[in-house]
Amino acid sequence: MEKTRVDFRDEIARNKLKSFFLMLVIFAVIVILGYVISFAYTPDAFFGILILSIIVSISYLLITYYNSDKIALFSVNAREAKRENNKMYYDVVESLTIASGLPMPKLYVMPSKQINAFASGRSPKNSVICVTEGALEKLDRRELEGVISHELGHIGSYDIRYMTLVAVMVGIISIISEIFLRSLWFKSSDRDNNKGNAIFMMIGIILAILAPIFVYFVQLAISRKREFSADATAVKFTRYPPGLIGALEKIKYANAPEKKITKAIAPLFFANPFKELGSTHPDINARIELLRRM
Amino acid sequence: MPLGLLTWMLIGVLALVVIVFFSYFNRFAILGNRIDNSLSQIDVQLKRRADLIPNLVESVKGYMKHEKAAIKAVTDARKALVSAEGLEKRVKANNQLESALKTIFALAENYPDLKANTNFLELQRELTTTEDKIAYSRQYYNDSILNYNDLCKTFPGNIFAGIFGKKSREYLQITNAERENVKVEF
Repeated sequence: MEKTRVDFRDEIARNKLKSFFLMLVIFAVIVILGYVISFAYTPDAFFGILILSIIVSISYLLITYYNSDKIALFSVNAREAKRENNKMYYDVVESLTIASGLPMPKLYVMPSKQINAFASGRSPKNSVICVTEGALEKLDRRELEGVISHELGHIGSYDIRYMTLVAVMVGIISIISEIFLRSLWFKSSDRDNNKGNAIFMMIGIILAILAPIFVYFVQLAISRKREFSADATAVKFTRYPPGLIGALEKIKYANAPEKKITKAIAPLFFANPFKELGSTHPDINARIELLRRM
Repeated sequence: MPLGLLTWMLIGVLALVVIVFFSYFNRFAILGNRIDNSLSQIDVQLKRRADLIPNLVESVKGYMKHEKAAIKAVTDARKALVSAEGLEKRVKANNQLESALKTIFALAENYPDLKANTNFLELQRELTTTEDKIAYSRQYYNDSILNYNDLCKTFPGNIFAGIFGKKSREYLQITNAERENVKVEF
């Protein structure tokens, strides 16, 4: 069957919509979990738990959010990229800021032979892009443009902010579940005389165990949708899918040797049924396939 | 006398209408400004390109003494670019300049001394980059026009467009002459 042409703008909209609905799913889990657990507590106690978990989640994530770029750069030993030594890098990013209408981010390089890049920062005005030395060495100009435009796509779609919000919600669920499960040890006996209460307790316990795991995978699904959206945005900026395709193929083949080693000692590992579900990025072949149709 | 529920609902609806009205008004203004801004961006890049030419001519003159015609083509094209009025004419003049530059760079292949000159190489890189930027700024200009036209044509934007007197804008046109490949003449 002939594969039809895909419009990058439709792709962007489609993936943003999907990630929004997935976010609603997480929100629904918060509501359901809260509702079921509230039967085990007095309304005041429940609200207390809810507010506590929200405060803790939000404080933790506000700190990481405002420093997300510094934390990310520090963890990979990135150094600031000087214009004199990185002319092509600067030229490429400047050209793409014109195509995207985004302000110029701060540029960094990290020491690694692999081809990789990331973007961070809470808004386009406070954004940074970091590429590996390997990327600058091994990619040609068009391929580098593909990678950078993908990162600018993340910045322009406020993906860092979005994923932080998702992480807050997932964090709230984890904390609520944690508090609920731990509190079961300390329950006074006169509260669970009610048989109806016991059923809710059962449901509550099951939910409290499963909910964090479930929303973790939903979070990963959201991340993958945003990655597809960033790929489509890269095409929107460059109008040249072969650039990003070239970069992805180089990354795919650069990783090949490691895959061979893994196959040899694979019997030592359990098969991983969550290979697709358990990753923040979509399968690289799926990405290349979709890009070829744009 | 206390206001009834119905009155409150009416006030709510009215407030909503006012908010929607303002937001569409602002949206038109923002997108319109973006178009104007991106237009001047194209000019910024065209000017940059024009500014680089004298340097290039200087660095090339010493080596390519006999290529007078090619060098003249570049300086003429630059003059045309600088004096062109209106975006369409400037973009057309830029294509002329691009053609003349391609000739110079092709001829430069025969002059190894020139090719080794770091100044020349730097200018060559700069000019290529500027050409990319011109292309991207034209693309962004067309993108911003698309966004504006989308707002004018879709519902309920088209209603507000009628009220505010906003019309769809035209894209940057490419003449048939420009669609032909840029030629290199020796």
